[in-house]
This record gives sequence, C-alpha cells and structure tokens, in this order.
Amino acid sequence: MGKGGQSEGNGAQCEENMAAWLLGVNTLKIQPFKLPSLGPNDVRVAMKAVGICGSDVHYLKSMSCGDYYVKEPMVIGHECAGIIKEVGSKVKSLAPGDKVALEPGIACWRCKPCKEGRYNLCDEMKFFATPPIHGSLANQIVHPADLCFKLPEGMSLEEGAMCEPLSVGVYACQRANASPKTSVLIMGAGPIGLVTLLAARAFGVSKIVVADVDEVRLAIAKDLGATAVIKSSQNMEDVGKELELIKEALGGAEADVTFDCVGFGKTMTTALKATSRGGKVCLVGMGHSDMTVPLTPAAGREVDIVGIFRYKNTWPLCIDFITSGKIDVKPLITHRFGFSQKEIEEAFATSARGGSAIKVMFNL
Amino acid sequence: MELGEEENKAAWLLGVKTLKIQPYHLPPLGAHDVKVRMKAVGICGSDVHHFKHMRCGNFIVKKPMVIGHECAGTVEEVGSEVKSLQVGNRVALEPGISCSQCHLCKDGRYNLCREMKFFGSPPTNGALANLVVHPANLCFKLPDNVSLEEGAMCEPLSVGIHACRRAKISPQTKVLIMGAGPIGLVTMLAARVFGAPKIIIADIDDSRLSFAKDLGADEIIQVSTNIQDVGEEVVKIQNAMGANVDVSFDCVGFDKTMSTALNATGAGGKVCLVGMGRSEMTIPLTPAAAREVDVIGIFRYRNTWPLCIEFLKSRKIDVKPLITHRFKFTEEQVEEAFETSAQGGNAIKVMFSL
Repeated sequence: MGKGGQSEGNGAQCEENMAAWLLGVNTLKIQPFKLPSLGPNDVRVAMKAVGICGSDVHYLKSMSCGDYYVKEPMVIGHECAGIIKEVGSKVKSLAPGDKVALEPGIACWRCKPCKEGRYNLCDEMKFFATPPIHGSLANQIVHPADLCFKLPEGMSLEEGAMCEPLSVGVYACQRANASPKTSVLIMGAGPIGLVTLLAARAFGVSKIVVADVDEVRLAIAKDLGATAVIKSSQNMEDVGKELELIKEALGGAEADVTFDCVGFGKTMTTALKATSRGGKVCLVGMGHSDMTVPLTPAAGREVDIVGIFRYKNTWPLCIDFITSGKIDVKPLITHRFGFSQKEIEEAFATSARGGSAIKVMFNL
Repeated sequence: MELGEEENKAAWLLGVKTLKIQPYHLPPLGAHDVKVRMKAVGICGSDVHHFKHMRCGNFIVKKPMVIGHECAGTVEEVGSEVKSLQVGNRVALEPGISCSQCHLCKDGRYNLCREMKFFGSPPTNGALANLVVHPANLCFKLPDNVSLEEGAMCEPLSVGIHACRRAKISPQTKVLIMGAGPIGLVTMLAARVFGAPKIIIADIDDSRLSFAKDLGADEIIQVSTNIQDVGEEVVKIQNAMGANVDVSFDCVGFDKTMSTALNATGAGGKVCLVGMGRSEMTIPLTPAAAREVDVIGIFRYRNTWPLCIEFLKSRKIDVKPLITHRFKFTEEQVEEAFETSAQGGNAIKVMFSL
C-alpha cells in the first residue's frame, strides 16, 4: 500500500502489475507499479472497477487539488472495487475470491481525531491518489483488510466502486441530520449532488428540490427521485428569483437542510437564504476557497453551516442501501472504459467534460 | 387615569438620536401578567443602533417606540392567575414574548419564533420606563444576594450563555474570542463557568484587552483591522493557545474577525458567530468546511435566566465589573447615557438606575 517498491515475491506466474501514473499536467501513462509486500493484516486485491472522481480530474489538469501538490509521479484513482487475490497471515474476515469494495483512506489510529472517531480528519491520513500516496487505478493493489468490505451476492463490482462517491452523500446526510422531518434543497446535480439526492431519499427525506444550471443534469435528478428541479443561472442577480422558485417547489416553505454540492459564492448565498431558521447548510462542494456570502443574517436565524471532509464508517451502510434496493447507483454510471493507454486518456477527457458524463467507470 | 395614580413615563425613541421621556400608557394587566416597577435598565448595542439609525438589521422603527430591554425591577401588581410571584418580589425580566403556537416554539426553539414580541424591537415597546406589564413566566425572582443591576445584566449574560451552550463549551474546549466588547466579555465569563480550560481573547483596543485580562482571560492578543494581517494573527493565536483552538466565538462579525476565527480553529472545531458587524462577508469558508469546522449561528437566547441567576447567586460569575457607567432616568441624562454607550472604548455596560 502507499509507496510501493519491493517486489511481490509470490512465486511463479507473476505478471507485471501495471497502473495509471500521473506524470505531469495532462500526462497519464500506464506503467509498471511494484506493490509493497503483503503485511499480516493486508490483502492483495485485483482491481475490477475504478471510477473517476472530480479530484482525480483536478490532479490531472493541474497536478494539485486544494492544498495537495503532486511532486513526484503518482498512481491515480480511488473509487474502487475488486477481487481478493491473497490475504495476509492474520486476516480472518476475507478469503481469496471474495469481491470487495475498498475504503481508500488509511488512518493512523494514534492521533486525537482518530481516537475520537473522527478518523476522516486524521493528521496522518494516507489516502489513495492524494499525494504522495499512490492510488488504485491499477491491476492490483495492497490494502488493509479492515478497509475492504465484502460485497454480498447480487451486488456488482461497479456498485462496489460507487460506494466511495455514495459515501460522501451518505456522510453529508448524517452530519446534516437529514430525516423524514427535513425537507432538502440540493445545489448542484453533478455526481456529488446526485449521490446526496440518493442518500437523502434513503434517509427518508420526502421533499427534495435540486437546482443546477444544466438541464440534462436536472433531468437525471428528476429521474432519480428529486421532487422538483430548478434551473438556476450563474448570475448573482438571479438569486432572488431562484429563491422564489425554490420556495414554491417546497410548498411555500423554506428548506430545513440544504446541501451545497457546488461551493461558489452564489450557490452558498442561495443556500443560506433558502434555509429555514434553525436549519442547516452543509457545504460539500469545493468550488471556490474564498466566498462572499450573507453569513450574518443566516447566523442570526441560527442557520448553521456544517462542513464535510470525505466520510467515515459509511461502507457497511452504503452496501446495505444498495443491496436492499433503497439506493440504485447504476444510473449514475454513464460511461465505461477499459484499462489501456488510449482509453484512460479518453476516459479522463470524458469525465472532465461534465455535462451528460456523470460517473466514468473503468472495467479492468 | 385614577386619582392619585402616578403617570407612567418612558424613554421614547422619536427619531434619529431623539429620545424623550414622555407618558407611557400601559396595557391592562392580564391574568398571567405582572406589573413591574423598573429599577435597573442597561443599554445594549442594538438600543444604540436603533437610537442612531432608527433601525437595526431588519427591524425598522416606523413609529415612536419605548427603548431598552435589559432590565430588572420589583413586582407591583400580579394578575389573577399568577402564583409564582408576589408583590414586592425582585425580578429580572426576559424581554421576548413568543407565540407558543408555532413549531419552533413547540420544539423549544422559541427564540426563533417569527411572532416574537421583544422589548425595544419595533414595533414592541421596550422597558426603559417607570413601569411595564409583562408575563409572569418571563419574570425571574432574584435571590437576596443578587442585586437588581445584576438582574438586568442577565440579559447580555444570556447571550454568552446561549452561545456557549450552542457551541458545547466544556472542560475539553479551548476557546478563542474575537472582540472584547460587552458581548465578548460575557461570552468569556460564560465560557469560563462552562469549564473552558483556556480562553484567549483578541481585540484591536488594548484598554479593552487589559480589562479582559483582569476579568480572567488567560491570554490577550492585540489584532489590527487590516485583512492582510490575518495569517500572522492566526499564527500568534495558535502559538498562544499552544494547542488546537476547539471553539472560536466571533463577537464582532466582520470579514477579518470571521476569517481569523475560521483559519485559527482546529479541524473538527466550531466557530460561533455572535457579533452582527456586517451582513455580507468574504471569508475562506471552503477550506474551513473541508476541515469540518462548523459555523454555528446565534440569535438572542432561550431558557437562560435560571442558569444566569444560579451563576450570579453562587458567585461563579461576577458581572458587576462590566457596569462601568451609571445614569439616572432624566431627560438630561438619557441622551448622555446613550452617547456614552455609543462611544465604546472604556464604556462597557451603561446602566440606568430608576
């Protein structure tokens, strides 16, 4: 896991493990990836389904994402599922042949946030494809067994890979206390807005309004269960008008919980104004760092802003939601590619384009 | 008015910076009301704002209104159904009458009631008067060792208490307070009593900072009004804390103070916005949200008087040092009192004695 360097040493018929390496801006190359040796609590997994995330695209385009910088070649990708090939000497929960979905981040379990159960905020987090940690768009990777979750019969590997983005939506709903009592507004119908929509429905929310600038994405949201969709603009002057539409869509009321899955001044302004007193705005999207927002009037109505960083302890719940049919992630997978040089480049270009491309999935 | 009955007078806000003491006709006493003779009334920043601008936020003074809401006095008359109070009781008043019918009230969040009638928030008349009529359940009996001035101080102290509750202050939370004005100070007093192990307070005014130090701040930090200084000030704050800032209270409410609070607070912490400086702010919200630093809003308070009184009675909180100036309820002194409060600086709480 992580750095890789030592050879596998598992005997004969060991074909060379290949991975998609990020070498520079817009430069991805499939090259050998030497795995570390298998620790007693690790498993070796053959990757079968790997999705592309907005952060992966960001790294490709700029070799950075937020405060993280890619300073040396790094394997990309983190939304993944596969089949166990080998288990470490102490692993009892998994066996070769098991289909698993992987939670990307290895926390340290020694720092304060870890010990308090907020391991997503770990000071020493090692997360697939967050530099300098290698990702999982590879033939095989090595990972701690406790971060590999067995998929029940009937759940596909692609659905397994979707647990990662779905976890963001599920965790956001947990932090924001979405429930049958809360009406919900979601700003943004991209992959994150859509998984948040699916999660909100699974959490029992009955009124969900989704706003976006893109009609195609709004139509997808409607199909996925949004009670109403609203076409918004990028124009600050339209906030007032859009608030009227949102209110009308909510039957004349304000939203109890709003998820900003975009993260710009305008979406956050709308979110703060559209949320009822005592409600919550959950900022999920990471559009702009600095934002100009009407914070004081919102705080003066006790509208709290809840932050989100990735997720914690969400895989078992995601797997439950998918196997019980409460959540169907399959419609989100709009494009599929194989694991070849030509295809990885095309896949990332497709994902970067946005629009009708929601989740681009690699099948290995 | 009956023969021999005194004429009730109050301080009426008639226009910008125009306060006049004039007759104030009280409504009849309801079955659950009491009539209270006002003895101590403090001036709040919002009163000053109404005085200077005839408005405060979304509240606009459209007709003459009695000012003032931080008050305590003695019960003169009780309504027919009132059992909890008697004539002669000394009481501190919670200003706001909520509707008890909306879902916010019924959910226990009555401070957010849309039909709230609050002393001195237009159009509801305030309490800077000889006498007021108020629901008995909003009048809290003061123990013998708590003065009427301390009773009036329960109102601003309640803001600090409510903020500390919403922000979940405990012996585990190290606290940063932006602003050492009256609100920053009551927040500090409340944080201390809720067990905060370390409290740092920041302000631009070094005399307010030394006042805060005397009141018990562990560290004081002088900051500027220059947004470029945020980075450097955050480092100073974090070094002074020697550990993560768990909770920050912005008791000022400007871009700079909020940016400092957001950047200085450790991952998983909270920033509580108490101050109402600016409506719109340009702030580094995303990086804070991506560290799960939540922003908690505050509107007035709820269910705080009994706790305030308990803290005052047990001397766990001493609000008396905050009362820096006193005035009488006369035409000459009323305007001077407001000007003194408006000037800020070494004027923390200006109190009327009636």
